Amino acid sequence: MRLFNCLAVSASLFAMTASGPAFAEDAAKVAAIVKGLDNPFFQTMQKGIEEQAKANGVNVTVQAAANMGDATGQADRLTAMAMQDFDCYLVNPISVSNLVQALVPVAQKKKPIVNIDSTIDASQAKAAGFAVSTYIGTDNVAAGALAGEEMLKLVPKGSKVAIIAGIVGDVGSNARIKGFKQAVEGKLEVVVMVSADWDREKALTAATDILAAHPDLTGFFAANDIMALGVERAVRTSGKDVKVIGLDGIVDALKSIAAGELSATVAQYPYVVGAMGVEACAVAAKGKELPANVPAPVLLINKDNADASLKNFPRPGGDYPDPFREMLK
Amino acid sequence: MSTPSDNAPAAHSAGAEESRPSLAALLLDPSFWADWASVVGLVGLVIVFGIAQPVFLSVANLQALLLAAAILVVLSIGQTFVVATSGIDLSMAASVMLGAVILGLVNAAGWGILLACVAAVLATSAVGFLNGVIITAGKIPDFVVTLGTLSAITGLGLILSGGEPTMVGSTFLLKLASGSFGPFGYPVWVAISAVIVAHIVLYHTRFGVHLLATGGQTESAGALGIRTNRVKIAAYTISGLCAGIAAVLLVARIGSAEPLINTSLLLNSVAAVVLGGVSLFGGRASILGPAIGALMLTALVNGLTLLSVSAFYQPLAVGAIVVLAALIMRYQK
Repeated sequence: MRLFNCLAVSASLFAMTASGPAFAEDAAKVAAIVKGLDNPFFQTMQKGIEEQAKANGVNVTVQAAANMGDATGQADRLTAMAMQDFDCYLVNPISVSNLVQALVPVAQKKKPIVNIDSTIDASQAKAAGFAVSTYIGTDNVAAGALAGEEMLKLVPKGSKVAIIAGIVGDVGSNARIKGFKQAVEGKLEVVVMVSADWDREKALTAATDILAAHPDLTGFFAANDIMALGVERAVRTSGKDVKVIGLDGIVDALKSIAAGELSATVAQYPYVVGAMGVEACAVAAKGKELPANVPAPVLLINKDNADASLKNFPRPGGDYPDPFREMLK
Repeated sequence: MSTPSDNAPAAHSAGAEESRPSLAALLLDPSFWADWASVVGLVGLVIVFGIAQPVFLSVANLQALLLAAAILVVLSIGQTFVVATSGIDLSMAASVMLGAVILGLVNAAGWGILLACVAAVLATSAVGFLNGVIITAGKIPDFVVTLGTLSAITGLGLILSGGEPTMVGSTFLLKLASGSFGPFGYPVWVAISAVIVAHIVLYHTRFGVHLLATGGQTESAGALGIRTNRVKIAAYTISGLCAGIAAVLLVARIGSAEPLINTSLLLNSVAAVVLGGVSLFGGRASILGPAIGALMLTALVNGLTLLSVSAFYQPLAVGAIVVLAALIMRYQK
């Protein structure tokens, strides 16, 4: 769902300040800065941050970039928040480097920095004289591998599959495809890979062409759900039995799986990523040491658990490992 | 081009001068290649891809190719009208998104699909009208105004949709996208009708003559009593109308209204116009040229996908072809 839109200048900027219930004076104050709220993925993440803060009795202030391409605006907002007196900083940077300079004053104040979703480049942070306290995010390679393993179950060994990638060179897209390829290495034949720019219509067109070129194709892996839904439409039009697996776990994809159209998706949970970030801040406020790297849960959703996932959306359909929850007990 | 009166027929085709030159002379004349760049390019691509990958010429693939090209053809026609007045409409792709979002929202509100389609087309036409009014009343360059509206409409679309895609599960749109009449799917017929109507408007109406005159020689046209401002506003409104039709086709094709801008649609619409032999300085235009240019760009992506050419090479190929076409344009008469 990280859909970049270089030209989009969103006029809608919601600088929402969540004022939690009035707690005692010693409630931890958390500053959170996320990517553009023009994307449902980050709206869900914000919701996770705010609801978890209520549950843990933490005061949280959430700021966001104007849109998905607003790297400098995001840094400016963080700089303003670094001036203020927060106990913990929760950051989801637009690029690996855009928040490094803004975090220097935070590091000088010796406040914990919790990095969620997108990584901050470790070497650049080191050059600026700090290191993030903990990183919480989805392992895209692992998510792609889950999709690959599911594909192995769905199609006969040695058959042909195609991959629909996101924007050319996108880090997330590349990692997902790398994971998928590793999982099917030597067991399935990846005949073609096309970039469809995270766009549903482009994915539909590409899938139609690929089905024409490779009539014996058995499966598609699309690097996100929006594209998978486009591919699924092309497959349905062709009338062939070709499996389509997506990645993200958006509502429309879950509905499509429940209806028996899409074969599967690998769901990641921005809600949980945000919530775990707040928990990490709560753990740090208690003076405990944070683990350096915590993988956020990814779950394979197919026909068996689509309904449960829909019911629990945006939370996972089942339990998931959360080291911070244990530490807060 | 000196006077508007010799604009219309001359723009019709390259070879149609007083005496019909021999075929050999035609082929040696660079201006012939310039005017027919898109046709030559399309024929060349069909031959190359047909040999390299026989599937390309299969009926099913050609039908899929035409379906995929329908949206771009309609957009190229709208862009042609604007470029013929020596303007450019950069807000087209954003208008398509706005139209799609409005279609989705009106449909979700339970107003019925036909009303939703009409609302989408009206909204995008209004955007075009507004573009035209701002450009002519404010005497601001087209480029600047449409760049501004591109941004503003994007914001409007995001505000209206809240950044969320809306499912549009209408049977009417599903039929429109997947049904066919004779050899072609309905979207292809929509595109063909658009081409025919646009051709008639451009070559067989007084408005068409005024349009080309406005593009070629704005001041002389004004002196002759042509209301150039009104003509310009009309051209932008037509561009908006085409964006609305494209929005309906897009929502029908993917079954949902996405608040995303497909920038390649905008770039390809301008590229198709250039390939079609339309002068960016206004005054000379054709409808068939840009339509074939749009077909050619779609065929290029289709063929490269069939050949499993790495995705990295596709933008490179499109860019090279557009620049090549622009170079050839220098030989236009």
